[in-house]
Amino acid sequence: MAAIFRPTANIAAQVVVVGLGMLIVGGAVWWWAWPRMDYVRHMGWTVEQPVPFSHQHHVAGLGIDCRFCHVTVETAANAGLPPTYTCMTCHSQIWTNAALLAPVRESLANNTPIVWHRVTDLPDYVYFNHKIHIAKGVGCQSCHGTIQDMALTRKARTLTMGFCLDCHRDPAPNLRPADAIFNTDWHRTAETPSPAALMQHYHVGGRNLTDCSICHR
Amino acid sequence: MPPVNRQWRGLDRLARDPAFVARASAEFPQLAAALAEPRDRRSVLKLMAAGLALAGLSGCDDGAPGGVLIPPVLPADNTVAAGSRMFATASVLGGYADGILVRHVNGRPIKVEGNPLHPASLGGTSAIGQAEILGFYDPDRSRGLIRDGEPQSWSSLLTTLAAQRDALGQGAGFRILTGAVTSPTFSRQIAALKQRYPEMRWHRWDPVCRDAMRAGAVLAYGQPVEVLPQLDAVDLLVTIDSDLLDSAPGHLRFARDFAARRNPARTDRMSRSYAIEPTPSLTGVAADHRFVVSPRDLVRIVPALAASILRGETPAGMPSWFAPLAAEMQAAHGRAFIHAGPQQPAEIHALVHAMNEALGGRGATYTLIGPVEADPVDQAASMRDLMADMQAGHVTSLLIMDSNPVFTLPGFGEALKRVPFSMTLAAETTETGGQTHWTLPARHPFEDWSDARAYDGTVTILQPQAKPLYDGLSPHALLALFQAADQVDSRDVVRQTHGLTDGQWHDALATGVVPNTRAAVSDARLKSGAAQALPPRPAGGEVTLLFRPDPHLWDGRFANNAWLQELPRPLTKLTWDNPLLVSPAIAKRLGLANGDRVSVAVGDASVVLPAWVMPGQAADCAVALLGFGRTDVGMVGQGAGYDVYPLTGGGGPVTLRKGTGREVLACTEHHDPIFTDAGDYVRQGTLAAFKANPGFLGGPAEQPSLYNRKPTGPAAWGMSIDLNACIGCNACVVACTAENNIPTVGKQQVIHEREMHWLRIDRYHEGDPADPNILFQPVMCQHCEQAPCEIVCPVGATVHDQEGLNVMVYNRCVGTRFCSNNCPYKVRRFNYFDFAGEERRPAVARNPDVTVRARGVMEKCTFCLQRIAEARIDADMANRPIGADEVKTACQSACPAQAITFGNMAQGGDIAERKKSPLTYTLLDDQGTRPRVTYEARIFNVGSDTGT
Repeated sequence: MAAIFRPTANIAAQVVVVGLGMLIVGGAVWWWAWPRMDYVRHMGWTVEQPVPFSHQHHVAGLGIDCRFCHVTVETAANAGLPPTYTCMTCHSQIWTNAALLAPVRESLANNTPIVWHRVTDLPDYVYFNHKIHIAKGVGCQSCHGTIQDMALTRKARTLTMGFCLDCHRDPAPNLRPADAIFNTDWHRTAETPSPAALMQHYHVGGRNLTDCSICHR
Repeated sequence: MPPVNRQWRGLDRLARDPAFVARASAEFPQLAAALAEPRDRRSVLKLMAAGLALAGLSGCDDGAPGGVLIPPVLPADNTVAAGSRMFATASVLGGYADGILVRHVNGRPIKVEGNPLHPASLGGTSAIGQAEILGFYDPDRSRGLIRDGEPQSWSSLLTTLAAQRDALGQGAGFRILTGAVTSPTFSRQIAALKQRYPEMRWHRWDPVCRDAMRAGAVLAYGQPVEVLPQLDAVDLLVTIDSDLLDSAPGHLRFARDFAARRNPARTDRMSRSYAIEPTPSLTGVAADHRFVVSPRDLVRIVPALAASILRGETPAGMPSWFAPLAAEMQAAHGRAFIHAGPQQPAEIHALVHAMNEALGGRGATYTLIGPVEADPVDQAASMRDLMADMQAGHVTSLLIMDSNPVFTLPGFGEALKRVPFSMTLAAETTETGGQTHWTLPARHPFEDWSDARAYDGTVTILQPQAKPLYDGLSPHALLALFQAADQVDSRDVVRQTHGLTDGQWHDALATGVVPNTRAAVSDARLKSGAAQALPPRPAGGEVTLLFRPDPHLWDGRFANNAWLQELPRPLTKLTWDNPLLVSPAIAKRLGLANGDRVSVAVGDASVVLPAWVMPGQAADCAVALLGFGRTDVGMVGQGAGYDVYPLTGGGGPVTLRKGTGREVLACTEHHDPIFTDAGDYVRQGTLAAFKANPGFLGGPAEQPSLYNRKPTGPAAWGMSIDLNACIGCNACVVACTAENNIPTVGKQQVIHEREMHWLRIDRYHEGDPADPNILFQPVMCQHCEQAPCEIVCPVGATVHDQEGLNVMVYNRCVGTRFCSNNCPYKVRRFNYFDFAGEERRPAVARNPDVTVRARGVMEKCTFCLQRIAEARIDADMANRPIGADEVKTACQSACPAQAITFGNMAQGGDIAERKKSPLTYTLLDDQGTRPRVTYEARIFNVGSDTGT
């Protein structure tokens, strides 16, 4: 009796079996890895803005303090975005005719606000509060990255719940002395108090920071 | 062992018939009906497949960073850019002001709070006051000028008014119609107008007015004095069909003062109160003794009471409670106070004045002040004059402000057709606006300057809370335009009235009170004839028909407010409807059950509406609730309920006939049923029993437990609710709705038991349906330490935090509803639909600190977690523990009677004190849930022990 399958059928069967296996494994890997990719989380993406504002120039170059523009970062949940008026305190004197700054001048002249696009956007059911993080010694860079190097602002951290929880489980490594919170050049040195000492200094650790009710309402 | 009481919610379930218990035991009875519908296997598979496919989609997220950030161009003057701030103003109803503070977040008003510095509020608010913020954002508010149905420009209005000013001459045909007014600025402007048009007249019309009280004061004192009770000084309170705690001007303050003497665990001089009334009111339900008396007997009993007290007579033919009450009143000389409600005739008020004087209360339990209202008139007479003049053609120009007579006064619409020039100024769409020549949009009170006086005369400046949402005109600006062509700033007009320096003006705005404006105490002398006043007998007939304002829609002006429409009425628990309230006796005679249609006729006028049996209503009484059935109102109120105003105009005998068919009414009295074998949901007892053993109602000591899940955090949140103070007014429910972005769901969904209120007020009856004891109990999430909901959630969406909060994590919830099924208190609410998304309410009106819940998510009371979080952050920044009384929940701060106390038990304070009260018990303590919410049992001061 003649064989029903030719010898090449063995190869086809093996290819199909192995292929199916690879597809399942690949699918599982993709399912796991895809949402964790920086690409999907838009890490490092810059967003087009009406004015290509450079933190690199203003922070690293000119040494302007974060709080000059983000005035409510120590007193409110929102850090606050500067009104056009703040931009024009300097730009009515320098670069008064720069084409790049035309939207800023028009904003002031026409009394129409500049519409910035969000770089970091937390879900609406998360209530992040800037002032308590500043008060407890978390530097801006912990969440916003090396902002002083960004010619165009980009998202530097994943800002996922896992990212938040890493720090809420163990805040110590992210704490800075009070005078270094807004200092973008700060690095831990031998003189810096130890993380444990900072925890004690800021009275962190009295409550369970991983309770749902800390961030969700 | 506490006394076992049988407490029932509704008459139809009094018998606890087995069918009801089975139905109520199923958490979602409507679902069972839906599931019973036959479905074939194929369609079930299709639905499952579709569900799976959709579940897959929910994992898709385009991940695009969302939204924009819009900073202002210029920094705002005198403002801190972020955080919430409070601005004082007042909520005005019937002319009288209750001081409020409006909370602003990011520059927009989002919540009303009471003003602790205002004498009529002391921090409390009413349900109506709380809901005013929703009215402010109402998208149905009237916009644009309209003349005879055509939109008009502002300049054409100015031209028209210029022509009017010329044409009015001496003002013989010029009439202004408003509701009752206490505003000093408004009356000053009217006076100025009268200078210019000497023959003009100012008419007043409120369908729910206090004419009889005014007339009674004139009968007794010869002048329209007002009574200012000091309820915390009253040992014996006798109320006659009174609205003292319901809606009288100053009722928030009265509730506060009344409650101060009601909990024997905190006061050693518990007051006693008697209520004599034909239909249950909040005042009556709060009383120790409630006597159900028909209005026709009242006109006999009150003069007899007066005769007994003033002349020592012993009238015959009185009910059994009469003689002891009269004796007790005489014994309480200088400590008693009698109050009669506005529905009682003037003669009864005169008699009450005479009795109060005779009992030596004046100066001790109450004082008399001059009238708070500007130029008070007899509104009914004023309206009769106006209607006669309109019909005779004497009225050439009619300006109507803050009044809706076409809806509230039968026959006004016809008379209006004979007026050649008429103009309405109203913030909302009204029936009157549709029938006058001109309809002008008024500014909402939150958008403009004005002023008003409180029950004791204190003046509050109403300041705008936001830029006008829609182009509108303030009443002050309109009056000024009738005066002269110059357009004025209403701020200047108000400022001019009070003559305050800059500093005083600033302080008056900041505190919400203009100092030293309390009305002076009147030294009016009682006229000798007052004691002889004889009230007229009401017309005979089988049925006595009473008209009462709806407790929430009032005379109909709040009909487009969804929060108020869907707020279960305190005593009937009805929403979205106003059936005729009939006594159990009438129901029995006509064979009526709840919802059966009934036809009411008064003379020629008749209305067909459903009936509702009201336990505790006098046998011959039927009560029609005003305010529903608006026809020209906006999308929310359109078609809700039945208009009973036509009946108010009819004279003649009242006839009641059973109609055909039945209406389905959205009543929540049987929703969220809870069960305990003892049946003692609201524990209650007498003062004598309390004195013998203060702990006789308290719960047993905490049972030992195998679990040790006591939260260990630095704070321990707890709540105590004093059932002696709770008057069931619903202010807390609306406050919760406003604070927590709770959506309304509409009548149909309420019928499906899907209302979303996180806080409900259960109402129980006890005893004879003809005269039951009525009890209130606010119930919200009890934040059990051993929470049954948490152990059944398959996804950990409801968990405990360290501070003892039972936390709901919306973004984990997949909507199994196991938690709700396992909750013995039935306080969890499920978003069957996208209720929040379907709400007709702009996003800016919501509280930005609270998540707006999506469809398919469970939710419940969070103890105002957003307020706790704010306090937690403030405390942590200052490196101190959160103070015991630092956080006030929305319900707590709204409560006029301070029935609710909340706080951090770890720090002592009020909450720890109240928890120690011997009256403290936990609801359903047989469940072993260890709730963080406890109740203080209700004590009735009955019998011979006056407690004083």
